[in-house]
Amino acid sequence: MAFVQNFPFMSIILSLFSGPLCSVLDGKRARRVNAAVIVIIGGMSICTLRYVISAGRPYVYRMGHFPAPWGNEIRVGVLEAFMACFFCAVTLLCMLGGIREREAQIEEGKQNLYYVMVNLLLCSLLALIYTNDLFTAYVFVEINTISACGLIMIRQTGRTFEAAARYMIMSLLGSGLLLLGISYLYAVTGHLLMSDIRQQVQTIAATGQYHISLMVALGLMSVGLAIKSALYPFHAWLPDAYGYSTLSSSAILSSLVSKGYIFLLVKIFYRVVGAQVVRESKVVNVLFVFGIAGMIMGSLSAIREGNLRRMIAYSSVAQIGYIYMGLGLATEAGSIASLYHVLSHGATKSLLFVAAAGLADASGGSDKYGDITGAGFRNRLAGVAFTVGSLSMVGMPMFSGFISKLLFAQAAVGHTHKMFPTVIALAISTVLNAVYFMKTVIRIYTRRPMEQAGGSGAAGPSPDAGAHAGMPGTESLPGAGRQVSLWEQPAKTAALLCFILLNLILGLNSDPIVRLIQSGFEMFE
Amino acid sequence: MMLIVVILPIFTGILLPLLSFRGRRAMWIYLETAVCANSALVCWMLFHAPRGTITVFRFMHDLSITLRLDGPGAVFAGLVAFLWPFAMLYAFAYMEREEGAESFFLFYTATYGITLGVALSENILTMYFFFEMLSLVTLPLVMHTRSREAIRASRAYLYYMLGGAAFAFIGMIFVLVYGSTSSFVPGGVLDMANIREKKDTLLAVYVLCFCGFSVKTAMWPFSSWLPKAGVAPTPVTALLHAVAVVNTGAFAVMRVTYFSFGTRLLRGTWAQRTVLVLVVFTILYGCSRALKETHLKRRLAWSTVSNLSYILFGVALMTPAGLTGAMSHLVFHSFMKICAFLCAGAVIHQTGRSYVHELDGLGRRMPRVFLCFTVSALALTGVPGLCGFVSKWYLAKAAVESGMALGYWGVAALLVSALLTAIYMIGIVVRAFFPGEGFDCASIAEVRDPGWKMLLPLMVFAAFILCSGLCSEAVMGALEQGLGGGM
Amino acid sequence: MDALLLVPIALPLIGGAALLVSSFRESVSGGRRGPGAGEAAASPHWPWLGRYVAAVLGISVVSALAAAWTGEREAVLFTLLDGIPVYFRVDALGRLFVTVASVIWMLAMLFGFVYMRREGKEKRYFGFYLMLYGILMGLYFAGNLVTMYLFYELTTLASMPLVLHSGKRESIMAALKYLFYSLCGAYGGLFGIFFLHRYCGSLTFAAGGTLDPAAAQGHEGILLIAVFAALVGFGAKAGMLPLHAWLPTAHPVAPSPASAVLSAVIVKSGVLAAIRVVFYIVGPEFLRGTWVQRAWMGLALLTVFTGSLLAYRERVFKKRLAYSTVSQVSYILFGLSLLTEDAFAGALFHVAVHAAAKCGLFLTAGVFAYHFGYTKVEELAGMGKRMPGTMWCYLLLSLTLVGIPPTGGFISKWYLAEGALQSDAGAFAWLGPAVLLLSALLTAGYLLPVAMGGFFPGPRGSAEPLERREAPPAMLLPLVMLAALAVLSGIFPGGLAGYASDIAGAVLSP
Repeated sequence: MAFVQNFPFMSIILSLFSGPLCSVLDGKRARRVNAAVIVIIGGMSICTLRYVISAGRPYVYRMGHFPAPWGNEIRVGVLEAFMACFFCAVTLLCMLGGIREREAQIEEGKQNLYYVMVNLLLCSLLALIYTNDLFTAYVFVEINTISACGLIMIRQTGRTFEAAARYMIMSLLGSGLLLLGISYLYAVTGHLLMSDIRQQVQTIAATGQYHISLMVALGLMSVGLAIKSALYPFHAWLPDAYGYSTLSSSAILSSLVSKGYIFLLVKIFYRVVGAQVVRESKVVNVLFVFGIAGMIMGSLSAIREGNLRRMIAYSSVAQIGYIYMGLGLATEAGSIASLYHVLSHGATKSLLFVAAAGLADASGGSDKYGDITGAGFRNRLAGVAFTVGSLSMVGMPMFSGFISKLLFAQAAVGHTHKMFPTVIALAISTVLNAVYFMKTVIRIYTRRPMEQAGGSGAAGPSPDAGAHAGMPGTESLPGAGRQVSLWEQPAKTAALLCFILLNLILGLNSDPIVRLIQSGFEMFE
Repeated sequence: MMLIVVILPIFTGILLPLLSFRGRRAMWIYLETAVCANSALVCWMLFHAPRGTITVFRFMHDLSITLRLDGPGAVFAGLVAFLWPFAMLYAFAYMEREEGAESFFLFYTATYGITLGVALSENILTMYFFFEMLSLVTLPLVMHTRSREAIRASRAYLYYMLGGAAFAFIGMIFVLVYGSTSSFVPGGVLDMANIREKKDTLLAVYVLCFCGFSVKTAMWPFSSWLPKAGVAPTPVTALLHAVAVVNTGAFAVMRVTYFSFGTRLLRGTWAQRTVLVLVVFTILYGCSRALKETHLKRRLAWSTVSNLSYILFGVALMTPAGLTGAMSHLVFHSFMKICAFLCAGAVIHQTGRSYVHELDGLGRRMPRVFLCFTVSALALTGVPGLCGFVSKWYLAKAAVESGMALGYWGVAALLVSALLTAIYMIGIVVRAFFPGEGFDCASIAEVRDPGWKMLLPLMVFAAFILCSGLCSEAVMGALEQGLGGGM
Repeated sequence: MDALLLVPIALPLIGGAALLVSSFRESVSGGRRGPGAGEAAASPHWPWLGRYVAAVLGISVVSALAAAWTGEREAVLFTLLDGIPVYFRVDALGRLFVTVASVIWMLAMLFGFVYMRREGKEKRYFGFYLMLYGILMGLYFAGNLVTMYLFYELTTLASMPLVLHSGKRESIMAALKYLFYSLCGAYGGLFGIFFLHRYCGSLTFAAGGTLDPAAAQGHEGILLIAVFAALVGFGAKAGMLPLHAWLPTAHPVAPSPASAVLSAVIVKSGVLAAIRVVFYIVGPEFLRGTWVQRAWMGLALLTVFTGSLLAYRERVFKKRLAYSTVSQVSYILFGLSLLTEDAFAGALFHVAVHAAAKCGLFLTAGVFAYHFGYTKVEELAGMGKRMPGTMWCYLLLSLTLVGIPPTGGFISKWYLAEGALQSDAGAFAWLGPAVLLLSALLTAGYLLPVAMGGFFPGPRGSAEPLERREAPPAMLLPLVMLAALAVLSGIFPGGLAGYASDIAGAVLSP
């Protein structure tokens, strides 16, 4: 066994145990430790990825070399390793981008606790990615929930408590359903290891036994994970949670946490239950319908929203809808498109959150829609970054969103019945995305302020935000702008640049990545 | 070579803020040189038609940004290359008093490259790519003045553009999936064996795609952005919203119809009838709105709506003759409308008047400008001897030959629209030259013809309208030769 | 290629355009519309303008007549579009129109020299006047449909400035109305041309038509619609219902010499176009017995009657004459619509007669307006005492238009009625002559009372002393000549009638 094979396990353990370490350090040190851990894990993931690619097949890693059902297994394929790399990279950038906000918004004494939570979160995400055991997955789902909750409410305002409580309730509901589903499956098949369940399910499906139980299990698990990843009708917790928490939290939550669940769902579909059974079940159709509903309704809510970050949060609802629509197609192409969208959305949404924070920074800290008028001139990099993110979301060629749109559409065209709904929904959703994102882009590049903060009913008109841009002494006004230079926050600048780069890479050099996902997907079988 | 002509203007634009010119004059020389050089390159390229393709970049293994010069592309590229230097010249005169000229010219120049990119696209993805880019680079030009109205207009502009592209995207996907290749091949690329049972779906997709691309040509019911976008400075309205952007839409529709879906699949189907009905309706709708409009530029914009639907009408006939008619109107309408718009801009520049009823008697004081305006008005009306008649003739000929009842209605619509055009255009001319008894001439005593930078483009365009109307054989011969490979 | 054919077209065009941009100073105008103000403050340049115009027009007319009457000529200029050249050819029909137009043009020019001094802006007037002549020559010499259409449109554009000459709001609106009706008509014609291009062997005129029966097989329906559209369209210029409304608006507001040529010559371009389409492209046989023929006849007759009736009710003198034009030109169209030789000959005859008569009538109206500023019919009472010469001319011209023997009008109406009775057009064969008769009665009713009132003013007119003040010779001469022409054509109809019959024979039984 190559040494590299230990890396996935080591990265989980490392992030798990760096948590307690952080809890005893002060804020600044904890931050460094955290960054180092993420970098190390990222490095290890890259090594793993290279190893798996060169090996050409997945491997199973038994902890302590105990065979199942006693031991716990990790299964590493190309896709898993790649996801781990990606998650690490995004986490690192999110942490980089939000340093200032964290310092400003989190009490001095609790800074280190934040890093504990981040480490835990990363650990649980990695575990969700790698694990080959359904019950382990469940455990880490719970850990994930708790740490995410912590991330939300670490910025202690009334809103975040409420948001965290909502999040907790919805998440626990989801976890409960997931657990029920897992139990059903266990009852039917008698296994918890994914590979074993799969064999069992194949035979059951072939004989036609326990059909209803199987469907119920599948449905429960899907719905549970859908709730947790905020699929449309279960999205009520999301805008508050993303909109009011501190910057790094919203960025990580939106781009990673829900994606971890989605990845788990993909694993359940294709590794646990098997593509054939999934395709024949009606569950995917339900997901498909709700996915499309989410695409439309999320965007509509975003259009009505008057707060920049909440708008981006609502946009997440729409994007999650995309992903579920892809899964709902229940074809390989659809799932690949969904996974690609996981990447693309992860890269774009965190970019948008960081850029939005930059814009708000240049507008006196307010991210109300009316106050950011002309912010693109005051904070040029954030403006450009926001524009890039918006264009990507709208699906402009060159950016990552276009590729995922392309993949979705291509996947849909291959489908007999779902083709038309999908392409039409894609088109409508593009238009809606354009409406709210480009409206914002135009606004941040509007030099002169409007007489009234127009449009979406934002309070707090800013009579002379743009006119006094960059002038000292206007910072006291809510929404009054100030010039933000490139070098003021090097970390955020670097993060934004890296995000833009990531986006462009995903948009311009998609071919190898798609092939990677494809080969990883084949390794599921 | 092909890459250079696309890239050069874009880089010229991007370099503009970096070079930070001290004076307007230096900037002017720099830009004009670059644009002229690029046009010269395009001309050279047209005469030494490079064979083969250039793959600039690959999106995916089978999707790439690829450039190629073929007949219709050459026509469009030649048109753009001819118009741009003159429009640039005019833009300098127009913008000399305006603020923010630097950012204006940045995007104005970059648009040149992107329009050429559309013209030189080898496959549908490349075209879509440049199509989208065009919406983006022209957006700052629309919102240039940053007034409340301009912001509204630019929002509407963007929503329509991106919305249109979203539906065009559907068509693109189908071509990618069901076509044997994504390149433009005369006669279409769809794999007939593959689509037999999916024909209706495909037709529906074609209609969506047609509508999507024709958002840029402001087809009804997607036409309201164009008059709104008239708030942009006149060089933009003239060159982009009468020529480059809208023609890109028409060009894209043409590409999709003749080179991707293929007329064999579409001719005689309900899809063709649907688009024809839309187009014929737009022809009339645009004219009637123009008639009601009292703002000069908006009136011209509505006129553009109607005239672009002539082009689409030719395309939707789906015959070689229809294509010829469409391309000829694409070329000729560009000249007519840019000339009319530039005249309107000259009036605004010299007098600040922008409503039709304010133009009384200006013909006396600005004879050259209004002479050019008269020429373009008459040409738009379709007076024989001017180029508008030529393209109308070819379109009507194609429609009559098509033998479809809708084609006949289209001919009638063309003529009704010509009549309405006469009413709204010649009314202006008469007003300008014959202000009526009791008109106070003193109120316009200060008005003068503009300087040579503005007049030269006007004169050149008017002369072209006249020459190509009289000797249309030469122009049409070149066009048909260009399209000959296309069919 | 025959250069002589191009001279009468190009010379006035160039001469007119040169005049428009030249630096001839116009006589200063202003407030000289008072009655009795015959003398104008002639500017020093005025004689030069007159001589220039006279010279250009004289040379053009001479060359036009020379080109028309000295043998067959043709000239191909350049290819306009789609393989269709700008092509001129002299043929019998064109010859007739050229002659009529040239004569009228010279006389109206003479009249205009005096009249326009008072109107002002002579430069513009004569500039467009000259150009219009060149364009008309192009129209008459046109050898194919597209060339004809080209000059047809130009006729509209160039004559419009004549209508709005006075520059008043009313006249500008009238000019626009004229323009839009004409363009509307022209587009109707163009609609027809598009289809004819498809189904006819060529668009070059050939007596008897060039319709390709094989190509038209199965497309008769749309072809008939197209021809009908063309007829209604070209009929607009000729003041045929339903597009006649511009004529009573536009003709009266123009200066009198302009209204004279508009009413006498320009409206005939619609007639010419209709003849060209029906007899030289489509061919009469295709239309015979179809609904198009019946509809055409019906419209023409309706126009004849309505025009007369409206003229009868009209009180403004020039407007009355304009309505009369509406009615009279439709005589011609009715004659054409019958598709018989006699009627065709009668129609052509009426072209010439009506041109002379209506030109003269408008010129008399011009004399009255010029000298007295009178425009209403009632005001003309007693005019015969003041200007007996003018009034006599008026009387003769009126009689011509009514159709009293031995004037030219009688001859043409005789032919028309005969043609109608010969035709196999069903009810129209007897309805037509009846309507013609009725309309002649009405014509007498609206024209002759003016003359009667002029000579016998009755108690009201005699109350004030009337001094005798004849019009100046430059104005009277054209009137006398026109009256003489109108009457003489009736006394010696042989030549013209024979010529018209020859054309009729050529086109109807090739």
